[in-house]
Amino acid sequence: MVKVLVLIVMQTVILLGVAPFIVGLIRKVKARLQCRRGASVFQPYADLVKLFRKQPVVSTTTSWIFTATPYILFASTLLAGLLVPVFVSTIPLSFAGNIIALVYLLGLGTFFLMLAGLDAGSAFGGMGSSREAIVASLTEPAMILSIFAIALTAGSTNLSTIVHKTALLEGIVSDPSPHLMAFAALVIVALAETGRVPVDNPATHLELTMIHEAMILEYSGRYLALVEWAAGLKLLVFLTLIANVSAPWGIATSLEPAALGIGLAAYLAKVSGLAVLIGILESMFAKLRLFRVPELLGVAFILALLGVIFFYVLRG
Amino acid sequence: MPLITPLIGSQLVDLGSALLLLTCFGIVAQRRLSACVDLFAVQSVFLALTATLVAFLTGIHHIYIAAALTVIIKAIVIPRILKRVIERLNVTRELVMNVNVPSGLLICGGLVMLAFFITQPIIPLGFLLTRDSLAIALAIMLIGFFTMIARKKAVTQVIGFLVMENGLFLGASAAAYGMPLIVELGVFFDVLVGAIIIGIYTHRLHDAFDSVDTSKLTILKE
Amino acid sequence: MVNDLTFTLVWGLFGWYGAGVVLPLGCRADSRRQNLLAHGCAAFGGMVGIVLGVVGLLASEPWAARSPSTIPLLTFAIRLDPLAAFFVLTISLAGLAASIYAIGYVRHFDGRASIPLLGSLFNGFLCSMTLVILADNGFFFLIVWELMSLLSYFLVVTEHEQAEVRYAGLFYLIMTHVGTAFIIVAFLIFFQGVGSFSFDTFRHPEQPLPEGMKTIAFLTALIGFGTKAGIVPLHVWLPYAHPAAPSHVSALMSGVMIKTAIYGLVRVYFDFLGGQFPWWWGFVVLLVGAVSALLGVMYALMEHDLKSLLAYHSVENIGIILLGIGAGMIFQSFGLKEFAALGLLAGLYHTINHAMFKALLFLGAGSLLYATHTRNMEEYGGLLRRMPWTGLFFLIGAASISALPPTNGFVSEWLVFQSLFLSFQIPDLLMKLMLPIAGAMLALTGVLALACFAKAFGIAFLALPRSSHARHAEEVPMPMRLGMGLLASVCLLLGLLPMVVVPLLDRVVGPFAQISIADQVVALDGWALAPVDVQFASISPPILAAMLIVGALLGLCLAVAFGGHLVKRYGKTWGCGINLSPRTEYTATGFVQPIKQVFSTIYRPTVKLETEFLEESRYFAKRRRFEFHIEPVFQKYLYDPVVMFFSTTADRLRVIQAGSLHLYLAYIFVTLIVLLLFAV
Repeated sequence: MVKVLVLIVMQTVILLGVAPFIVGLIRKVKARLQCRRGASVFQPYADLVKLFRKQPVVSTTTSWIFTATPYILFASTLLAGLLVPVFVSTIPLSFAGNIIALVYLLGLGTFFLMLAGLDAGSAFGGMGSSREAIVASLTEPAMILSIFAIALTAGSTNLSTIVHKTALLEGIVSDPSPHLMAFAALVIVALAETGRVPVDNPATHLELTMIHEAMILEYSGRYLALVEWAAGLKLLVFLTLIANVSAPWGIATSLEPAALGIGLAAYLAKVSGLAVLIGILESMFAKLRLFRVPELLGVAFILALLGVIFFYVLRG
Repeated sequence: MPLITPLIGSQLVDLGSALLLLTCFGIVAQRRLSACVDLFAVQSVFLALTATLVAFLTGIHHIYIAAALTVIIKAIVIPRILKRVIERLNVTRELVMNVNVPSGLLICGGLVMLAFFITQPIIPLGFLLTRDSLAIALAIMLIGFFTMIARKKAVTQVIGFLVMENGLFLGASAAAYGMPLIVELGVFFDVLVGAIIIGIYTHRLHDAFDSVDTSKLTILKE
Repeated sequence: MVNDLTFTLVWGLFGWYGAGVVLPLGCRADSRRQNLLAHGCAAFGGMVGIVLGVVGLLASEPWAARSPSTIPLLTFAIRLDPLAAFFVLTISLAGLAASIYAIGYVRHFDGRASIPLLGSLFNGFLCSMTLVILADNGFFFLIVWELMSLLSYFLVVTEHEQAEVRYAGLFYLIMTHVGTAFIIVAFLIFFQGVGSFSFDTFRHPEQPLPEGMKTIAFLTALIGFGTKAGIVPLHVWLPYAHPAAPSHVSALMSGVMIKTAIYGLVRVYFDFLGGQFPWWWGFVVLLVGAVSALLGVMYALMEHDLKSLLAYHSVENIGIILLGIGAGMIFQSFGLKEFAALGLLAGLYHTINHAMFKALLFLGAGSLLYATHTRNMEEYGGLLRRMPWTGLFFLIGAASISALPPTNGFVSEWLVFQSLFLSFQIPDLLMKLMLPIAGAMLALTGVLALACFAKAFGIAFLALPRSSHARHAEEVPMPMRLGMGLLASVCLLLGLLPMVVVPLLDRVVGPFAQISIADQVVALDGWALAPVDVQFASISPPILAAMLIVGALLGLCLAVAFGGHLVKRYGKTWGCGINLSPRTEYTATGFVQPIKQVFSTIYRPTVKLETEFLEESRYFAKRRRFEFHIEPVFQKYLYDPVVMFFSTTADRLRVIQAGSLHLYLAYIFVTLIVLLLFAV
């Protein structure tokens, strides 16, 4: 029981602690690629603390939904993170929800964020919610299908089992094609779900382009801090998912201190690597027009579908 | 103990074919003509790599020559010709299509499934290590054909035609470890001449209608 | 002992409903008393029904009773097996809540409609639905089925002075009779095999039906019951009829009446046909389910009449239920009993869940109608502050239908997903590929439903009031809140305690799949649900709920730890320097615009924009008129031709009805002669 609690607390601390770092790292990489020096990678931590200390301003038109949303968003994203193995392959909470539950937990946060966007009554919020609705609905089928392709290779939809089996190279059909396609689909899905270029631009406040920022425009103070933290956390959850599901090597498969240490180091290296990759991708591509996004997500869907087909057909 | 076991070898061939198929989807999804040409070049490189792999695994040497020709003609010469055409005509992207991109992607997904179902009874009969690629080859051909129907610009139709040809080549190496060398040389020559002719035809089309939209050809009937 | 109890309960049930039918019409009292009397009887009937359902689910043996009649082939036979008990429970739960709600809601009809008649019909409707479930004789079933359809028709046309209500009623009446005709054909096929209408002989025929006959029975049952359930393309009557009815009746129609069709399908496929069918039957059901789910939610998104929106969501949820049942049928035909049981269980779980949250949402919509006198969402807004309870209950309903964890919709949708994902065990390649694609369609459906309810709740309850109706809305009376609260808590309980629900459902499913999976599904000492294998997948709704609360508290603690207790400041929403008004808010139409654009292939929208410019300059618009319609594809290409055919045929036939008395006498005369000639 104590061990379980310790593991949960450790994972919570790591997720909450690393999330701002990832955000800072991506910003740094982008700055460097634009020949700027950029802020320190630890700037997001300072931002969070500052926001927490500011007095929040709440619009008079809003209801309790608006003030409750940051907490719900924070809790659901954190819980989604606790369902993913981070540095140990067998985690205590994995029985509480499999990969589909994770998708729906993220959906819970999205739902309330969309409501909060509408609650303020400004056109910005409504626009953000409306766009989030279409992006989310196009992402979901691709996500479910790519998840299924991955689950097929491991014969499970339980994240701990997938990671554990993949890490030990157990029962994995070693055909690389389905895995590769599902991985590519998942990367596109992650970019779309976490509001990165080419779907959304987290660095803009231009009404023509923003999605996530438009929904949270009315937030300030501690509410904004929680929303920003949750956004970083969501990004980290996706990176963790990609890193540990498709390349779980190095993850601790037992609870030995040495294995845990290696697992943690490997985890940090992997998510940092993926963050650098996202920074590079964001610098390479321009943001797509909203009505071109379906084409990108269509590609993700087809990739995932091909992953499933290939799994069955090539060694069928 | 050989360097690559037959199992890993055939998995690598599968992977190569899968990448070929992926680039097909890239071409279906891409609106920019020059990017389509680049994707075709990449596809040809993958094709050459897969063919080299097959040659290495089977020890059939003439496939090496075919692979080398693929790189030279399909990855370098033809893309250059097409890019010149694009530059000269100043058409950069395809804005209106007969089938929009997401629907096109879904249809192509369906075509892939169709190809798999058609080849499913045949595949277990084969004994070559490349047999799985037959399904992918058929899928590539179908997608190439579909591209020719779905797109309006002459350049993308040429690309669709070339994609079909790539599928054919893959199918030949999958089903029978390649055709006799003389046939392949002939095919390459045909393709090259075809590409040049279509390039010139595109110019004429542009001169005549001030557009490279082949749907304009319907005017000719009056 | 149990049999006596069941007997008492059944008579108690019909006693209360019967009293509810007769007393309001019979007694002379003011409308308030009659209202209380009618709906009080219905509420007691509902309570007895709940107990009956639970007793029936727990009983070891089915309970049956019969009484012969003078009409040949008809016996008044009723039978309570676990499947029937489950549906009785569902109907009674929704009925109880709707009855309590009605006590408050019906006041709103005072002077507009006859309250005793409404109450009496309402009781009759509940009673007929329960009888449909309990009937154990084909003839009897058809009679009560028809009774249910007619009573619901009368309820739909409560406000018959409005032309649109009359149209909706007529449309419903025609559609439901077409459906009944198909059900009759299905039953006749069983009848001609055994020569009796008793369900027992349907179940155990002396000679099995030939394959061709079975297939016809399958298809006619699917069309017949499908019309009632509202599967695409037979769904067109739902968005007319459900909004037209009084809201507590719409709650029952959309929540439970369409479920009687699901009952019929399960009864026919798994009980009468004994679960022996080729795999393509399951595939057809799955396909119908997937298409209904997706198109249902897509049309729902474009609706701005709250009740029509909910009606389209019924189409969607029937689709999800059929996805579960279809997957179960496919597994059944491949002999994978565990998975067959899982698919069927998932479908039935979603049945009760949908009954609860859809009834809740319709009651919520009724409350909005009661408070604002309009069903148009664009005229709501800001209602959460004026109607906090209704808002909270509606939010719970919206969260459930959007399958947000840890509500009941999430649990059943998750189970449907799992049964679709277990498809990799099927030996057939086509099915292996089709089930995951159905899963992807379900994912799209789920997230579009989420978007739709973000729209519905957000536009109706949040931000500024959009009309004076909304500005002057007041919270609804106590009985209405009570009815909604009851359903909201049932929704939460069904979500948090699946480990209690699943073993009960297992008793329903067990006899059909010939396997009990409760022990496998309820895993880890009841803490988790695991479809068949914990290693494959599991969820634990109570843990998820607890962790969500812990997470939210952690957020609160972090806020306090870093920032201390800062008092909120209130200010105006930033509107780029302009004062916000309801006119600057996002509308429901605007909200769904991107979705409409992206899926234009399905919607085929027609947009009309007319601009009147100022005379002085063409750069300033004086007035803009925007209009958009989505094409009613099914009506245009499927129904209109049929209607055209019949109306032109009818026109032609009018020649014989010339209005001349002599001609009619001549007809009778000719008929008489012809009959005499035949008789010779």
